[in-house]
Amino acid sequence: MTQRAVAGRSMNEPRDGQPERPRKLRSRLRIIDVALQALRGLTSRKLRTALTALGISIGIASLISIQGITEANQAEARAEIDALGSDFLFITAGAGITEEAELLPYAPDMLETHLDALEYVAALYPVDARARRNELIPEVQTGGVTVSAITSSGLDLLEPVNGSVAFGRFHDATSVEVPGVVLGSLAAERLGIRHLVGHPTINISGNRFAVIGVLNEFETINTDLNRTAIVGLSVAEELFETTDTPSAIYAQVPPEQLDDVRDLIPAQANPAAPGEVAVSRPTEALEIREVIDETFARILQALALIVLAVGGIGIANIMVISVIERRGEIGLRRSLGATRKHIASQFILESTMLSLLGGMLGVAIGVGIVFGYAQYKDFDAIVPWFWLSVGVGAAFVLGALAGLYPAWRASRLDPAEAVRPAA
Amino acid sequence: MADAVLELRQVTKSYPGSPPIEVLKGIDLIITEGELVAIVGPSGSGKSTLLNMMGALDRPSSGEVLIDGTVVNGLRDPALSGVRGRRLGFVFQQFHLLAGLSATENVATGLLYHGMSGRERKRQAREALERVGLGHRLDQKPGKLSGGERQRVAIARALLGEPAIVLADEPTGNLDSQTTEEIVQLFLDLNEQGSTIVMITHDRDLAQSMPRVVEILDGEISSREVSTA
Repeated sequence: MTQRAVAGRSMNEPRDGQPERPRKLRSRLRIIDVALQALRGLTSRKLRTALTALGISIGIASLISIQGITEANQAEARAEIDALGSDFLFITAGAGITEEAELLPYAPDMLETHLDALEYVAALYPVDARARRNELIPEVQTGGVTVSAITSSGLDLLEPVNGSVAFGRFHDATSVEVPGVVLGSLAAERLGIRHLVGHPTINISGNRFAVIGVLNEFETINTDLNRTAIVGLSVAEELFETTDTPSAIYAQVPPEQLDDVRDLIPAQANPAAPGEVAVSRPTEALEIREVIDETFARILQALALIVLAVGGIGIANIMVISVIERRGEIGLRRSLGATRKHIASQFILESTMLSLLGGMLGVAIGVGIVFGYAQYKDFDAIVPWFWLSVGVGAAFVLGALAGLYPAWRASRLDPAEAVRPAA
Repeated sequence: MADAVLELRQVTKSYPGSPPIEVLKGIDLIITEGELVAIVGPSGSGKSTLLNMMGALDRPSSGEVLIDGTVVNGLRDPALSGVRGRRLGFVFQQFHLLAGLSATENVATGLLYHGMSGRERKRQAREALERVGLGHRLDQKPGKLSGGERQRVAIARALLGEPAIVLADEPTGNLDSQTTEEIVQLFLDLNEQGSTIVMITHDRDLAQSMPRVVEILDGEISSREVSTA
């Protein structure tokens, strides 16, 4: 009886060939069910899921907030540069080879005449004089106030330096011919000038000058002007024997011509010794600061990426533990028809979802910080979309990578051993 | 006569070691449709290994295993998993219920790897739970169920998908005697309704209540066909 049955079967099922009904017997797992299984794996261990996802959250929140804050700062710095005019040059005497280098007296005129690209040229002439509130103050107590002079061709000084008048007015063609003075904000403060009521005067090396205006404070660049008292050159020549050798020339250039013009300036300002003319762009300092900010942000972001990687390792760790703990479940699933691929996909997806969950939370925290910072600093909030997608993408990839090894282990578990309690 | 749903031909299984441990020493066994068979043997007799062979959970060292007419020895993992999922139902000593899921959801996982919709899985799961007498416990989580109820849930899960054969590995090992009797009665009832069931146990008395008893000792079937039917 047994023999007959055996023989009958053998003819139907050739032992070397493929079985006749494998297709019908294939296990099938719907994609939605893979996702649901993975989700269930996460929700059934909520605290663990939350703690594990936290590492990724912190990494991504840092990544985004660092970028957002840096971008907000940079936008602010750029706005500042734009307000200042990145297009103005500051020309001074450079380091002399033999003796003290000087700008030539006719330098401002030369620049004005020969370099059409220069829109405003204003020169400051150093005045050897002491400014005091009145004659009762000892002459040595200048309070750091320096005196400089301008000519009638330098009346538009405020244009290139982007200055403005706090009260009173700036020099005009008339005031530079008479003893009138315009004070920088700090100079005004030191000299006790808070308003122009009663026509205040100050004493400059024994001579009374009428204060005609006070400038607003220069906050980031040209701060030298804050403690300067500006008088007319013809008056200074007369009273203080000031020469017509400028100490500094301010000039404004259209940004697109800036680099070309910059190279031409020394030869015009001092044809005999162009090397002794120093041309600088004060906003460069701000731009350097911007670059430093940028570098610093990159370093911090590198750290954030390390945090992210550590978070990924944390996920891999937890997933390995999870595989060990869920041996029975894996065995059961294998007995219910799960293939190795089904088991592997469940764990990889679980790990990826865990990481993405952390990623989402990180995005929320990071964007929150960016907006909080913007609110605090009264800046415009900038959402760093690029880094946001880098963060989420990194979480995705990390999660999948972190799941690879645990998933492989889970799929390799021997079903016969997995269904029985560990010995 | 009825068709053989499970057939073992000269199946041996040895595990590497020095000397190699031979757990099964040439088993010949045929289970035909509609049978209820108890495989009984003491610890270490090789009955769990035998169940692994019958359940396609492990591959024999030599010999052939035919499940519902399919030689499963040489099958690759996807096909082998398919055979387990479609043609076999398993009941384990530890129940292996998923803690977070209700009784219905647990039973429904029996059809998870059949590519069936969740709604259909649940419908069939409820039916199966009714069959094992748990129609009133559909939404309970395993934590709220007694040991006997848990095993009924596991049995309902094994019944899903109309397996050719249900393999139960010490299904009463974790249950008290009263509950054991109930579970045995359930197996008898299910068998009455047409299910083919193989139950592995170390409990000789329990085995005696089954229509057919196969005794295994030291990797060999020691007493043939102690048939009570």
